[in-house]
Order: sequence, then C-alpha cells, then structure tokens
Amino acid sequence: MKRVCLVRSRLRAWTYALLILFAGTGLSSCSPSHADHIVIGSKNFTESLILGELIAQQIEAQTGLQVERRFYLAGTYICHQAVLAGRIDIYPEYTGTALSAILKQQPGENRAEVYQRVKDEYEKRFGLTLGPSFGFNDTFAMEIRGEDARRLKLTTISQAAVYAPQWRAGFGYEFMERPDGYQGLAAAYGLHFAAPPRVMDLGLLARALHDHQIDLAAGNTTDGLIAALDFVVLEDDRHYFPPYEAVPVIREMTLQQHPEVARALAGLEGRISDQEMQRLNYAVDGLHRDVKEVVHDFLQGKPVN
Amino acid sequence: MNFLHFILQNRGQVLELTLEHLWLVGVSTLLAVLVGIPLGIMIARWPRWNKPVLAGANIIQTIPSLALFGFLLPVPWLGDRVDRLAILALTLYALLPIIRNTYTGIRGVDPAVVEAGRGMGLTDRQLLFQVELPLAFSVILSGVRVAVVISVGLATIAAAIGAGGLGEFIFRGLAMVNNQLILAGAVPAAILALSADFAVSWIERRVRPQ
Amino acid sequence: MNEIRKEPHDSELERDIPGTLPESSLTSLSLSHISLMHMGSIANDLAIEFRDVSYTLPSGEQLLSGLNLEVQRGQTLVLLGRSGSGKTTTLKLVNRLLSPSSGEVRVNGVANGDIIRLRRSIGYVIQDVGLFPHFTVERNIGLVPTIEAWPKEQIHQRVQELLRMVGLEAQMASRYPRQLSGGQRQRVGVARALAADPAILLMDEPFGALDPLTRDELQREFLVLQQKLNKTVVFVTHDLREALRLGSRIALMEAGKLVTVLPPQDFLRSDDLWAAAYARAFGVGPASVADREVS
Repeated sequence: MKRVCLVRSRLRAWTYALLILFAGTGLSSCSPSHADHIVIGSKNFTESLILGELIAQQIEAQTGLQVERRFYLAGTYICHQAVLAGRIDIYPEYTGTALSAILKQQPGENRAEVYQRVKDEYEKRFGLTLGPSFGFNDTFAMEIRGEDARRLKLTTISQAAVYAPQWRAGFGYEFMERPDGYQGLAAAYGLHFAAPPRVMDLGLLARALHDHQIDLAAGNTTDGLIAALDFVVLEDDRHYFPPYEAVPVIREMTLQQHPEVARALAGLEGRISDQEMQRLNYAVDGLHRDVKEVVHDFLQGKPVN
Repeated sequence: MNFLHFILQNRGQVLELTLEHLWLVGVSTLLAVLVGIPLGIMIARWPRWNKPVLAGANIIQTIPSLALFGFLLPVPWLGDRVDRLAILALTLYALLPIIRNTYTGIRGVDPAVVEAGRGMGLTDRQLLFQVELPLAFSVILSGVRVAVVISVGLATIAAAIGAGGLGEFIFRGLAMVNNQLILAGAVPAAILALSADFAVSWIERRVRPQ
Repeated sequence: MNEIRKEPHDSELERDIPGTLPESSLTSLSLSHISLMHMGSIANDLAIEFRDVSYTLPSGEQLLSGLNLEVQRGQTLVLLGRSGSGKTTTLKLVNRLLSPSSGEVRVNGVANGDIIRLRRSIGYVIQDVGLFPHFTVERNIGLVPTIEAWPKEQIHQRVQELLRMVGLEAQMASRYPRQLSGGQRQRVGVARALAADPAILLMDEPFGALDPLTRDELQREFLVLQQKLNKTVVFVTHDLREALRLGSRIALMEAGKLVTVLPPQDFLRSDDLWAAAYARAFGVGPASVADREVS
C-alpha cells in the first residue's frame, strides 16, 4: 500500500515541480533585476550609436555607476518596447519620431512646443521622461553645392525655389513616398522642377550632387558628408519640416533610483550643434574611426576629425 | 572560439538575456499547458470537435512566426507591450503539440481499461483523473517537450520585434556584422533548447509506467 | 450437493461457510449499496428482466430486437451465440453501458435508476480484463471499495480475502498487471469484480483469451465460487461446452433475437434448429452434460 502511494505522489510531485519551474523562471525575470547598473540602448545607425555611446561614457565618467550597452536595436518600436519593459533604462530618440511614430499625433512646428508635448505625454502614459536636448535638430535637409549657394547667395529654401525650374533634384525612395516628404515640400514652397526628381539610393545622393548630376538633394541636417563635400543646408524658412530634436528617453524609475543620472545627462544639454553632429558622423562613417574613441575625444574637447 | 571569451566578458548581459528568454518560454508554455490540455481532453471526450480544434491549431502553426508577430503588432492592447504579444504568439504556437498529444494520449489508453473502468461505475471525472490522464501522462509530457523546444526557437525571433531574449544578440550581431555577438546569442539559445529537451525527456522516462 | 474435489488452492476456501462472506467485509458496506441489492428481492426474485428490448445503432443497424428475458436471483444465465448474435449487446444493457432503443431493462425491479450506483453494484468481467496497468493488483481489486470510500484497513483485508478466494498468493497484491500471466490477470479481474460484493456479476467471455488448461481451471473455480457466493451471473460465451458446464440456463441467441432458453440437460435434446446446429458444431452429445459436475 505504501509503495502504491509513493508512485502516485511521485507523479504528482513531478507535475508540481514542472509547473513551479516554469512559473519560477517566469516570475524571476518579471522585474528587471539590474538595479545595480544602467543599461543604455541605441538604434542601429551611426548617429544613434554615437549618442548612445555619449550617454554611456558621460554616465560612466560623472557617476560611479556601471553601464551596460545594448546598441544596434533594430528600430524605434523595439527601443520603445525595451525601455517600457525596463530592459533598457535610457536611449536616444528624436522628438519628431516620438510624436508621430509612438504617440501617433500630427507633427508639430515649434521645437520647444514639440519637446514639451512629447515629455508630458511620455510622463503621463509610459512612466518615461525626456532628458535635456543634445542641441541639434536632425530633420530633412535640402542640400545644394556650396559654390552654388555662395554664387547665388542662397540661404533659404524660398530663395532657392526661384531657381528650381533650372535645376534637377534627387531624392531617396522614402522621401518621395512619404506624404510629409516631397509632395508636401513642393506644395509648401511652390517648387517646380523642369524634370521630375531623380530617385536614387541614399548613399548615391551625395556623390550625384557633388558630380553635378543633380543640383538639389534631400538629406539629413546632420549628414557627415555635408561639411566634407562642401554642401550647404538651406534654411527651412517656412518651417515645413517638423523638428526632430535628439533627446534621451529615460525611465522615471531609473531616475528615482539613481538621481545622479539626471545630473550627468544635464551635462550633455546643448553640447552638440548641427555642425558638430555632422563632424561626429563623418568621423565614424567617413573616416571609419571607432565610435568609442570618437565619443571619448569629443567629451575631452579634442577635435574628432 | 573567440566568442566564448566574449560571453565570459559579457556574462552579465548574457545571463540577463537568457533569463528574459526563459521568461518568454516559461510563461507561454505554462499558458499553453493550461489551455491546451483541457482542450485536448475535450476533443478526446467529444470527437466531433476534433477536426475544428486540431485544424485551428494547425493553421496557426503554418503561419510564419514573424508574420504572426507582425499581424499582432497593430492590435491595441497587445501591440502596446511586445512581451504580451510575444507571449501570446508563443503560446499559440505551443498549442498544437500539446493539444494533439493530449488527444492521442487519452485515445491511446487501452479501450479495455476504459470499458472496465466505466463498467465498474467510475464517473467520467474519476475515469479521466484516475485512469486516462495518468496513463496518457507520458505522451502529454512529450507534447510539452516539443512545445518547449519550439518556443525556445521562436523566442529568438521574438527579439526582432523587441521582446528581448537571446535573439537580440543575434539581430544586433547581424546589424553590426559581428559574428561573436551572433554566436553569443545563437549558441546559448541552442544549448537552452537542448537542455530543455533533455530535462523533460528525463522526467518522461522517470514517470513512464514501464 | 456436488462433491468438492480437493484442489491445492481450495484448502483455504473450505474454511469458509459456503454461501456467506466473512463478517469483516460486510460490516461497513454502505447502506445504499445494501438497499440496491435487496430492494427488488422483497418484490420478486427476478434480478434482471428484459421487456421487449431492442437496440439499434445510430447507423440504423439493429443489433437486438424484441428481447424478452428473465434472470432469477442466484442463477447463472449463459448467453450463447456466435459473433454478431447480440449477446454482448444484451450484457451491456444490464449495466447500461448501452441504453435500449426501445423496451425496458429492469435490474432489481428498477429500470431507470442512477447509472453509477447501478454499475457499482454490478461486477463486470471482460475478456481483455482491463486491469489498470498503473495500479498494483491490490489497487485494482480495491477500486470500487476505494471510490465507495471504504476505510483503508477494510479494503486491505477485503483484498487479501479475495486473493485467497480466487487462488492467488498474498504477495501478488504488490505486483503490477504486466508482471502477471493471462490466467492470473483474469483471476484478478474476477476478484476486482467481486470486491464490493455485488449481487450481480456480468461476464463477457472472460476465459476466452486463455489457454485450454487455464480455462478449465478457471471454469472449475468459477463453479466453486458460485456455489459459495450464490451470485446472479450473466455469462456470455460462444463455447457450448462452457455453457453446458457453467450455466443453470442457456439462452441461445442468433441475429439479435432470442432463439430459446433451456437448462443444459434439455439443450442437447432440443429439437430447435439452432440448438441442434450448435450441438453439431461442437460435436457434443447428451453425455457432456456430466461435465458441469464439479469434478
């Protein structure tokens, strides 16, 4: 009789053990256990990596905290999910992207207003907040050759619009497709080109502009090649392109646990101008320098290229 | 073998991602068991539900996992937190082996045993819990084993939508073209799958009546 | 009273008073149990009645038609027939594993009572035995007493008692069915059926899967037990010799109909077509009736 009970209870014991094992592994990972260190995330393009490394090194230098890097996350959604779930504590985002892609609202016009709106919504809905802006605005840039800008004395898109019928334009696929891309731009500034814009791979735009195959290209304000190839970014005087200010997105819980992080990030406020970011991008993309070294030099105040 | 050195250097992160991975697999398998075994019992008892239930689970299995993740992203409550989404998707994928094995396990019980039990006056519930389930346990457990192994593999893909886990190493490594990182994700994931398979097999063997 | 020849394993049986059970196992039988057993006996001594019973499958095939049959208390009724004659169907109608399509089946005078209670008051032995492979012999035998919530100690004693009764050694209790021979398994099956001391026993070709020697042994032991316990037994077989040996009456069935019901002695002398056909098939003459003597 005893042996009978033993077999039956053994079966039950194993079943419970299995269930507890599963539940246990589940519950153990429930809340992120990295109270002792900070995890920084970044997206998978150069500018985001630079900003992520910048945040990481700043925190390492200014606080005693240990920093873990989870870079090359594949996109906005993934970074957002990661910071929501607490798998990362901080990552660099753009106010315009947060507004349209995550908060799903209409893009704004005013940098400060957009920043505040995103900050408020993030705090209200996600338990996240924004650190101070790094200083630069990475939005679409209408680029022309430096020699043309100086010769024709062009500084704004409105001025350049006069010459549009004599120019050829070159844009990337996405810029052509997006409703807030070429279509809206042409409408906002009354742009009429002689021929339809050439559509090409982003990587080829800079070369095409340099080689006089096109006269106007859509790039980003912080493209590394802008300074290197003597391009000029035309000012968006009608404020068509929404602001995309770079800011750190931070978990409020992280700030509560480690207030020194806020102080460290405050030290990065406004540190990077559009031109500075261009130089940093070029150092990594163009000169193929290591991101860590570039950021280290930058923080030390040394020139990066 | 450089990546071993890499894993050692980054063992904190490797451990963290492994725990995330286990969390996804553990919760989803548990849910699949809680839903799948009763469903399997139900279709074993009422065979006319057999076709629709098994067909349904089968259809889910044929949907490519990344596509399923993609479908579910826009769904309001699920898409907000990708962990929920990933766990739901993993649970759905784990259902078929569990339901099917529960069904075959129970149907596979010697009909003479069932007839004798019923003839002696066991109620349906007594028959289920004292005879059919214990005798089908080994088969059901092997279904759970398959589900766990599938889940470990699928959870690596869940990293593509941001659910974390060892797949994140793989995707980051691909973006960086860094083999060490890729291996640091792939190898532990494979080891995890093998260990889970081994562990549950061991339990199966201990529990089997013979 | 027929002479009981001494068999090695009968020695302990002789200590028991024929027809009754040791006190210990009876003391805690549940009241409802007893009442079901004796309820009908006050009214009549018919344990089982079939009144114009038919059974039709959902597909339309009729397995039984117009069955009228009575089983007296304490009798062994043998249902004899070939495959497809409806004898197993008839048996299963008694413990409601099947429900009649028309007509009434009364057990102890009750036609539509609680099925679970009914089944627990009837012992059921089938050809494949159907022992639970994950239970020990003891747990198998003690199944109905366990679900009837008998005290553990009482179950234990009852199991020991039954093992003796069916001629198995006490240490068999801790073995598993896979460790037993075919004959041993069926003995356990019989013990299991008798565990809660039901008044009625249903047996569906219980010895059909055994070798002739074991079958012979078990048939003899059946007769001994039946003499002691006096159960109402419905016994299904296709073997005429077994029927002649074990039955107090033989009900011959063919194609879902009851052909004739006769005591063994009359069966062989019968003019009935089917009875004669059966006798011929088995090469059996009147002299074989002597086989049912317990010797």
